Amino acid sequence: MFQAILEFAFIILIISSIGAALAAILVFCEKYVVNYGPCKIIVNDEKELNVQGGESLLTVLREEKIFIPSACGGRGTCGVCKVKVIDGAGPVLATETPFLTKKEQADNIRLSCQVKVRNNIAIEIPDELFNVKEFHAVCAEIKDLTYDMKRFRFDLKDPPVIKFTAGQYLQLLCPQYQDNSEEVYRAYSIASDPSADNIVDLIIRRVPNGICTTWCFDFLKEGDPVRMNGPYGDFHLSDTDAPMVFVAGGSGMAPFVSILHHMQNNHINRQIKYFFGGNAVKDLCMADEMEAFEDALEGFDFTPVVASPEDDESWDGETGLVTEAVQRQFDSLDGYEGYLCGSPGMIDAAIKVFVALGMPEDKIYFDKFA
Amino acid sequence: MKQSPQEKKLEEILRSTKLVAGGFMGTDTRHPAEVVDDDCSRLEKLGLTAARVAARMRELTELAIPRLGGWIEAEPGKLRVKSEDFKGSLVCPWPHQGAYGKRITIAERMDIGKQLVWTDLNIHMIETHGFFEGKGAFFRVEPAEVAQILFEGLKTAQM
Repeated sequence: MFQAILEFAFIILIISSIGAALAAILVFCEKYVVNYGPCKIIVNDEKELNVQGGESLLTVLREEKIFIPSACGGRGTCGVCKVKVIDGAGPVLATETPFLTKKEQADNIRLSCQVKVRNNIAIEIPDELFNVKEFHAVCAEIKDLTYDMKRFRFDLKDPPVIKFTAGQYLQLLCPQYQDNSEEVYRAYSIASDPSADNIVDLIIRRVPNGICTTWCFDFLKEGDPVRMNGPYGDFHLSDTDAPMVFVAGGSGMAPFVSILHHMQNNHINRQIKYFFGGNAVKDLCMADEMEAFEDALEGFDFTPVVASPEDDESWDGETGLVTEAVQRQFDSLDGYEGYLCGSPGMIDAAIKVFVALGMPEDKIYFDKFA
Repeated sequence: MKQSPQEKKLEEILRSTKLVAGGFMGTDTRHPAEVVDDDCSRLEKLGLTAARVAARMRELTELAIPRLGGWIEAEPGKLRVKSEDFKGSLVCPWPHQGAYGKRITIAERMDIGKQLVWTDLNIHMIETHGFFEGKGAFFRVEPAEVAQILFEGLKTAQM
């Protein structure tokens, strides 16, 4: 009996070993032996890229200087790098389904990091992605804004200038460091003056146990090289003359700094009421910069709001939730445009208040932390 | 402990730093299934279930959300809670659709000053997978602390 069990275990071991060896050979061949040859990627039915097959669509496009947003660096864990693949991608993989809704699957949306270029492929991507570039830069200055928020200034080296619309964001590459063995990308709104095109400022708030913010706060030093790509996003100022209400909290300050610079550069004197919320006085920042904008922009008014000042804090400004301050100051927002940047909770609450005060939903623009 | 290829793959993801800094297993050298089983029996001894814990955590998170990061007392004078959103999302390491906003909730038992911290992903992993994370993981939720911080007041109220 014991002999039979041993023999059975031995057979299982042999079969498992053969299976594992075959799998290893397959992986090896796939990577080093199989040659998929030249393939074509047809982009938006107008651009034709001649590439070598064998790599992921995300990687191949990146090599062709077309940057698809991706937060995990192509490891299939973030679900950000979605593109529409019209033809040539093969069936949806099990590694993609967690990130794709049924509708997206029906619409041929795929994770570009999981689609391997083995043959000709036709894809559709937004035109704005053609303007995205990869930048090599140097961290020039790190400035504390609050106890958990810093402004990072980067000098652009290659290419040395960036063209972006105020309100857009960049993806910063967080390299491997200490226990973090993976490269990841994280999106941050640009906080700098669009006319100062040789630098970018990012305002970053520390996320408890966050991969990228831990690197930024604890490892990144002035003088260090960094890589980023962008610009991305369609959050920007409308070209109307309507009065505006801005609402932000935390690092949601970033796009508004850039937008205010843009308005100052272009002598746009629209009426703006900017509410910036924090839980305590220690969460507020950039008061001097906002005061300077108040001097430069005739219609601009900055209102910091503190939810509940701590016992040792002195505060005689607006208190309560930032949305409550909006309600106190406006009876109607009919004719206004609303601009929001911050947490989903804050944005949802602000939209409710705006709509209740008569602002049409299609006049509310937002950049959600998501 | 014998593991299927799927379990091996899951353990690899849980131990990697792909999804969260430091991974989900922390310094825990046990297999994930052992962590789940062990926490499940701890809960049983405390008179709780994973479903009940997840429901309580969700209830407190939802109570705190409208305060936009400010404290609110869930049990007046005894338990306060706050919930804050950060940029980004957290993805469930199990192979199914599941990305959660990076919302962090802190509950504080005010008389003893002890806090419990969790994310929306913790609620999902506890509810759906019975997984409280490995020891040493940043967002590990200790069953004993759950009982003490989240359920102590309810127990007193029932007596």
